[in-house]
Amino acid sequence: MRLIGRRLALYAVTAWVAISVNFLLPHLMPGNPIQTLIGKIQGQVTPQEIEAIRLSFGGGLDKPLLTQYFTYLGQLLHGNLGVSITLSQPVTTILKQSVPWTLGLIGISTVLSFIIGTVCGALLGWTRGSRLDSLIPTATFFQAIPYFFLATVMLLVFGSDLHLFPVLGAYSPSLHPGWTWSFAVSALRYAELPVVSIVLSSIAGWMLGMRNMMITVVAEDFVLMSVAMGLPKRKVIMAAARNAVLPSIANLSLAIGLVVSGALLVELVFNYPGVGDLLLNAVQNEDYPLIQGIFLVITLTVLAANLLADLVYLGLDPRTRTETAT
Amino acid sequence: MKKSRFPRSPKVILGLCIVGFFLLLTIFGPLLAPFSPDNTSFAPLLTPSAHHWFGTTSLGQDIFSQTLVGARATIVVALVAGLVATMLSMVVGISAGYIGGYTDDGLSLMSNVFLAIPGLPLLIVIDSYLPVNSRSNTLVIGLIISLTGWAWGARVIRAQTMSLRNRDFVEASRIIGEKRHRVMFFEVAPNLLPILASSLLFTLLYSIGAYVTLAYIGLTSTSVWNWGTMLFWAQNNNAPLSGEWYWFVPPGVCIALVGTGLALLNFGIDEFINPRLRAAGLSSKQRRKLGLPRRQRLGLTPVLRTKVTTPAPLATTKPVTT
Amino acid sequence: MSTESIEVSGVVTSANETSDVSVVTTPHTDQRTDGPAMGQRILDVRNFSIDYGWGEGAVRAVNNVDLHLNRSTVLGIAGESGSGKSTLVYGFTRLLRSPGVIVGGEALFNLGPSEDGTDNIIDLVTASEKELRSVRWSNISVVLQSALSALNPVLRVGTQFEQVLKTHRRDMSKADRRARTVELLALVGLNEDRLRRYPHELSGGQRQRVMIALALALDPELVIMDEPTTALDVVTQREIISKLYELRSRFGFAMIFITHDLSLLVELADEIVVMYAGAMVERASAQALYDTPRHPYTLGLLNSFPPMHGVRTELTGIPGSPPDLTDLPTGCNFHPRCPYAMDRCLKESPRLEELGEDGRSVACWLHSGDEGVVVPVELRRTGRGKREPIPMPVKEDVS
Repeated sequence: MRLIGRRLALYAVTAWVAISVNFLLPHLMPGNPIQTLIGKIQGQVTPQEIEAIRLSFGGGLDKPLLTQYFTYLGQLLHGNLGVSITLSQPVTTILKQSVPWTLGLIGISTVLSFIIGTVCGALLGWTRGSRLDSLIPTATFFQAIPYFFLATVMLLVFGSDLHLFPVLGAYSPSLHPGWTWSFAVSALRYAELPVVSIVLSSIAGWMLGMRNMMITVVAEDFVLMSVAMGLPKRKVIMAAARNAVLPSIANLSLAIGLVVSGALLVELVFNYPGVGDLLLNAVQNEDYPLIQGIFLVITLTVLAANLLADLVYLGLDPRTRTETAT
Repeated sequence: MKKSRFPRSPKVILGLCIVGFFLLLTIFGPLLAPFSPDNTSFAPLLTPSAHHWFGTTSLGQDIFSQTLVGARATIVVALVAGLVATMLSMVVGISAGYIGGYTDDGLSLMSNVFLAIPGLPLLIVIDSYLPVNSRSNTLVIGLIISLTGWAWGARVIRAQTMSLRNRDFVEASRIIGEKRHRVMFFEVAPNLLPILASSLLFTLLYSIGAYVTLAYIGLTSTSVWNWGTMLFWAQNNNAPLSGEWYWFVPPGVCIALVGTGLALLNFGIDEFINPRLRAAGLSSKQRRKLGLPRRQRLGLTPVLRTKVTTPAPLATTKPVTT
Repeated sequence: MSTESIEVSGVVTSANETSDVSVVTTPHTDQRTDGPAMGQRILDVRNFSIDYGWGEGAVRAVNNVDLHLNRSTVLGIAGESGSGKSTLVYGFTRLLRSPGVIVGGEALFNLGPSEDGTDNIIDLVTASEKELRSVRWSNISVVLQSALSALNPVLRVGTQFEQVLKTHRRDMSKADRRARTVELLALVGLNEDRLRRYPHELSGGQRQRVMIALALALDPELVIMDEPTTALDVVTQREIISKLYELRSRFGFAMIFITHDLSLLVELADEIVVMYAGAMVERASAQALYDTPRHPYTLGLLNSFPPMHGVRTELTGIPGSPPDLTDLPTGCNFHPRCPYAMDRCLKESPRLEELGEDGRSVACWLHSGDEGVVVPVELRRTGRGKREPIPMPVKEDVS
């Protein structure tokens, strides 16, 4: 239990750091970006929107930094992330539409990649020395390809040459989003290519990590014991795998951060209407409120996922529990 | 110290060759390029030919030259970022692991925080606030990248340092009275070399990816040629959907190759650290020739009845029963 | 295999034939068995040799060793690290890890009489994977040295019993299995609440008891103990040994006990074999070995371990260290460390020869009966007093 408390505290601190960095950056960067921004948009947005933006940065620049900081925090709690200057809507509204797509994409891809990767890795580790080992250099190569490059290649192959998969967007342009069957199917079909690119790029890491751990675990005595006990091979592999998978789960937290980064870019390539697309446009147009809002949401979501992964790990490894021997 | 064994694994040798090749390219790339990468005087969107090995862009630039020249910035930034990040992680990791106590708590908290915040979004945010003129400064970009990439190495090094700290030779130098920083950097650090090397390789991998990604999004100055910028232009000119594969495949493949080379090297180091991972002797073809089963199977110790060439020193008792 | 014996090797079927263990033997000419087939003999390991590695770099880890074990008897295997004692046993149970390779010999295990009266014998060396699995744990079980790493860290103790019982006893219900587990734990003096614990939550002694309970789960005929007490403190050691003693008298399984501590064997074993550098150097009944050792190495071993009871003797060790198996001495493997080495010892390797007395063998030129060879006094005793096993009180649940 203490461990969970420690993890929670860590994530709380991290969240606080992220929030504070989000606040500090525009205030500390050379060139006074906030002032410039407000000056730039004077004529383009309503005065209420300007005020909302100003508040989301911490209120007037004439006030002391600390006061601005608390104003900023207060605004956050009220859900005011500012107003996007390119889309003229509150940032929170925009995010509500995009975040689900990104979450779905990342969620499915991570789960698929993890499962397929660790299963393959376990088999590779167990049948070491067999012909399966030739998969390893291939997997290594795929791991080195930047996510978006693979996505680009797939876009090329399936977008301009073979027309097997739908390529741009998240669903068929003729449909309206809603909880209908046809929409769901369409959404799934449009998700295929993005998911496949992310999975292919990230699977090698899981595979290789699991393989190495499996080899180490198989050398332990308890695996020999289960063989000596006459257990069927399936049970022996499971016994070893249950132990070997633990470091992978511990690494899940780190991997989520990487998958998020990769997913953002894949969205770019496939015009998937998630957060990544949004971010790129925001960056190119210097839409700071939107950039900051996205950064916050991404970070907090990743932290939440990390916490979840940590809880799973604590559940799976009994050695982390602090009961002592009598 | 252990005897150093030059690795004979084919994976490692291949890795060394690839990395070596690209290092040479970094140095000599711009010299070898047939044309200037900015030169727009050629016909646009030519497919690869003898004149233009990789074809031309929509502006009529030679892609082959761009690839060669682009190697330098890409790899240099990656190197800078990787080295700085590794040094940071080394200092933080060794200090945290060796000194322990509050120092450890503080440093660990810092690394965990940096680890938890997703790297790319943070990079994007920082970079977008940078004044435009510093974006062309590769050193600045390299530094920012290293800021987001040091945390993982620090954690790994800290763990290893903690396990080394309790070893006898460290204890011995402490008792003799060696100053703490001397013990840390002259006794402990040399034994961390394999982990440090592995950490450096990982960080290099990450840095290349980060730099190329930033360039792809357009957050670096387009005046400095690198592989990421090439991909940026390709994407912005709709190259994939138009079937102009020769525009973005060369830089992408180069990135992948460098990454693969680094990863293969990492394999070698992994096998060096963890002897269990080293190839267990013979290939399956060799085993079959010797009469052994194709691979090791747990719980089924192989039987290989060989001719005993020297007389067994201990014969069985009488009567002989086999 | 030579054809001198008229025994046809029992056993094994390849994957193409039926998977039943086939029965074959005919009367044996080995005078040590009594009755038809193997009779009282439960294990017959013959001419067993094991290499580490293969081809050029192969190292002979076990060289032409014979082992014989009768029902309900205890065989002790003693020797230093590297003597090959564990390698031998893992070898003939086919549990030896790579790069171990069996390069010769057979390991006949007697599963007991079948319907037509002849014995069911299996050669572990040539058995198929399926046959091995049916024999493992039901007939032969193993207690490994380091119980912490021998139990799956992520499974509760009770689950590990579940798995074994479920695999081998399909007809048992869940309630039956649980009852049996509780029963087994009680046998070794552990409380039922240990079922829910994880291995890392138990003490070393408790873990070892769990291992023993596991080993007895299916009522095997043979239990192999690989240095079960080496990792424990002396007090716990005694408790475990006396518990083993009690269990064996109660259930009558045969036991092979591997250790480097000869003093443990002297009280527990019926017969002891001593190994050195992969070969057997002496075999005798425990009492005889302890009272009247014949091999210089045995004598050295006995002098290295003070017995818990009895007259206080001077502790001497054996000078030198065990030989490098890749670079064995010429002639007798032991001669560099032997205080009685003669010229012959440097040139020729002695064979394991029977001594006139009652089931003893020794591999030493001192006892070859050659002229001019004087056997030192300490190696030709004829009896010094009876050894007495001293029972220890057994506590119910020990921390």
